[in-house]
Amino acid sequence: MHYLRGQIEYRVTVKRKNGYIREYVIVSISLLILLMLNLTLGSVMLPPKEIFSSLFGQSTQTFVNEILWDYRIPKAITALLAGVALSVCGLQMQTLFKNPLADPFILGISSGAGLGVALFVMGFSAFGISFSGSVFMNMGIAASAWFGAFAVTLLILLVSSRLRESTSLLIFGIMLGSVTSALITLLQYFSSSSALKIFVVWTMGSFSGLTTNQIWIMSALILPGLIMSVYNIKELNILLMGEAYAKSLGVNLESTRRRILIATTLLAGSVTAFCGPIGFIGIAVPHIARMFFKNADHKVLIPATALLGAAIMVLTDTVAQLPGQSGIIPINTVSALIGVPIILLIILKSRFI
Amino acid sequence: MEPVLELDKLCLGYNKVIYQNIFATAGEGEVVAVVGPNGIGKSTLLKSIGGMLKYHSGSIKVLSKPLGSYSTRGLAEKISFVPSQSPRARNFSLFDMIATSCYNRTNWLGTINDSDKGFIYKTLRRVGLEDFAERDSSNLSDGEFQRATIARALVQDSKIILLDEPTAFLDIENKLIITKLLKEIAHEESKCVIFSTHDLQLAIKHCDRIWIMGRESFNCGEPSSLIEQGAFDSMFKDSLLKFDPVLFTFV
Repeated sequence: MHYLRGQIEYRVTVKRKNGYIREYVIVSISLLILLMLNLTLGSVMLPPKEIFSSLFGQSTQTFVNEILWDYRIPKAITALLAGVALSVCGLQMQTLFKNPLADPFILGISSGAGLGVALFVMGFSAFGISFSGSVFMNMGIAASAWFGAFAVTLLILLVSSRLRESTSLLIFGIMLGSVTSALITLLQYFSSSSALKIFVVWTMGSFSGLTTNQIWIMSALILPGLIMSVYNIKELNILLMGEAYAKSLGVNLESTRRRILIATTLLAGSVTAFCGPIGFIGIAVPHIARMFFKNADHKVLIPATALLGAAIMVLTDTVAQLPGQSGIIPINTVSALIGVPIILLIILKSRFI
Repeated sequence: MEPVLELDKLCLGYNKVIYQNIFATAGEGEVVAVVGPNGIGKSTLLKSIGGMLKYHSGSIKVLSKPLGSYSTRGLAEKISFVPSQSPRARNFSLFDMIATSCYNRTNWLGTINDSDKGFIYKTLRRVGLEDFAERDSSNLSDGEFQRATIARALVQDSKIILLDEPTAFLDIENKLIITKLLKEIAHEESKCVIFSTHDLQLAIKHCDRIWIMGRESFNCGEPSSLIEQGAFDSMFKDSLLKFDPVLFTFV
């Protein structure tokens, strides 16, 4: 479009898809730097030189090897996976509902997971059984969270075939979220203080303490979710221009919605199961990606949100461990503290979202 | 010549009938205007033909085959539909916007092959937007955007193109540009273009056929014969408005 303002001509153009190499390289390099920083900082600082030699199997210092391989690398991988999954999921929710405020949990997936965990933790405590800190506890929390999330999605899938518009689905999801939250509050009210503490700690989010097996399970759930997301690209682009147009093109809206929902459960449900309900990343990163790449095409945006999501989540985790020996800040606190300024800056700079 | 579209005793509505007894046809290379008062069911009629709404009774035949015999995809290859207001996606180039309508021909990732690329550029030239391919589609003017949605329907490559009030929010110049464009498309590319409108003068002047959804009855015919029959007077019930056959408008 030409805007003729005085003698100056403004043209608003969109770059071709292969014109983003510079942006992808910048984001990838930032991700690598942040990953290195993440491995370096913590309760003990590991010099990058030591990290490199340990990474390539040449380190003789056993304590560096131990910290790195048993603690920091699993945590960094978890953060990376969570960042990718939540961001890609948030992008799809925003496109499906054409709502900039949509996030991975808008359909009540985190509340469902929360209810699962609450039932597990507080339900057992009601019978006087306690097993704090055990492996069984960790896996039990993850499994119950995943089943909670899955149950919510199943319910939404059943309802979605009866609803004509995605807006109705959105309202149903929000209502479902409210009901599960109310049930969680009810459980909290009647539970013991030790069970309550376990639950509250889970809601704060954490990347540490995952065993290698748990990381494998998490990856095995997230990978199919990502593959499905890539497969959704074609329909997501059409959904940008409204459901009426999609329908007239012969797009099967019901199956498209179903595919997006299943991908969402695999991505957001799995992250919530293993790391707790991590807020803000899923809503903020797609916006950051749109601002930075300036293209609404999902062929550009899906890889962009994945990379940016990983980078920002690793940064969040790095900040969370800044207090060093005096402990870790909850991930959810940091993600809000980092995310909010970024998003506000973007809105104020460009005056729109 | 066989009509491309045949409506036989069609009654609109789902649970209750909102408009009844539509007998109409439309042929290849014809541009058809659907006129009628607000709320009479023009959009419902177009959406029913496009297979987007269920209808009460009667039959719709597309290329001599009943509408119900087409699959969703099969119907999309025969009929394209331009909604009255399409949402605009920010930072989505005009080329990408139009490329989405190759949906039924592209692979799982929606990659555009060379022949479709050529087709898209040809279509952009057709609607006069050839210099705009890389532009942000959300930054087009209303008239340009409406031409873009028409280009999208053309790239879908269907025999029948339905448009719901394509000239509703445009100035008089753009109204004329769009109406003439629709006429050219129908005549030169032997499509059947059906659009709803409130611009009776433009419709009478440029369309080959008019469907009048009157309060009392439905009429289908060539503009000149409809004027002779006095069919336009059936559009509004009371005698407050009278059709002037010289001015082509209500006075």
